[in-house]
Amino acid sequence: MTVLLTLLGMWAVTFAARLAGLSLHRLVLPPFWLAFLRFVPISVFAALIVPDIAGSPDWPKKLIACAVAAALLWRTKALAWGIVGGFAVYWALRQV
Amino acid sequence: MTVTPFSRSSFLAGFRAIVPLWLGIAPFAAAYAVTARAGGLNIFETSWMSLSVFAGAAQFAAAGLFGQGASPLSIIATTAVLNVRHVLYGLSLAQKVKVTWPQRLMAAQFLTDEAYGVAINAPGLNYAYLLGAELSLYAVWNVFTLLGSLLGSLVPDPGALGVGIVFPLAFLGLLTPHLSSRIPLVVALVSGLIAWSLSRIVPGGLVVLLTGILGALFGAWLSTRGTKT
Repeated sequence: MTVLLTLLGMWAVTFAARLAGLSLHRLVLPPFWLAFLRFVPISVFAALIVPDIAGSPDWPKKLIACAVAAALLWRTKALAWGIVGGFAVYWALRQV
Repeated sequence: MTVTPFSRSSFLAGFRAIVPLWLGIAPFAAAYAVTARAGGLNIFETSWMSLSVFAGAAQFAAAGLFGQGASPLSIIATTAVLNVRHVLYGLSLAQKVKVTWPQRLMAAQFLTDEAYGVAINAPGLNYAYLLGAELSLYAVWNVFTLLGSLLGSLVPDPGALGVGIVFPLAFLGLLTPHLSSRIPLVVALVSGLIAWSLSRIVPGGLVVLLTGILGALFGAWLSTRGTKT
């Protein structure tokens, strides 16, 4: 019973966070805060990438994989190629 | 912005946009299930967490905390800290897509880092696309949670498989289209530095939230500097 109540609590706090931002759509924002929201994807993506690579024991391999993926992404503009190419390089580096 | 009718092709486009990420999501869902089972949750509870909470990092943390016999409040508080960043995603999405009340409840339930990333980059984003991306992840996360809790110890460790690399690669792919001029590039580099420093002192979800705020503030300051408001 305690487990189920805990799970409900986890759901409530997570759902509340997800709904809160989406519900503020009528907000009329000054230019500074509009610019702020335009930069959110950039800062968030950087935050999702860097600690993942830098905090890993085999970060040099991950870094090389990311460099190859970046080159592929730049050439093809296709997300799937970046992922597949980067993963292939990382996997190959792990075998040596 | 007006509410557009639900478009099947947009839904499928969103659904497909997440497919390359399945490779990373599936083993992690299975590994979560194994961790949760080892932490003392039964099959129903393990799957229920994936169906309701549906937040990878928080679920892993909770599974570990259940195993340590942590108090319910500390588990809920950890979940809250790890997931506050979704407020930022919601705010960001709300600027680009108009939704009705029931649609907002749906979009909120299934929101994730990955779905946000793919949706915010989609030209002409609408609700159908967002939901397609969200449910693509939801489907594979839940199927593999169930498989993981049934197969138990047969599930390979994602660390050993090396599939975790899929996530930074995907976010790199989502980041690069934004780096077309100098200010975004500087903001990305500074955000990376902030995230790297913060990751040594605070948990992952909080790193994303704080870096998200600080990096975007820096970007807003750089780009509106000198203009009179």
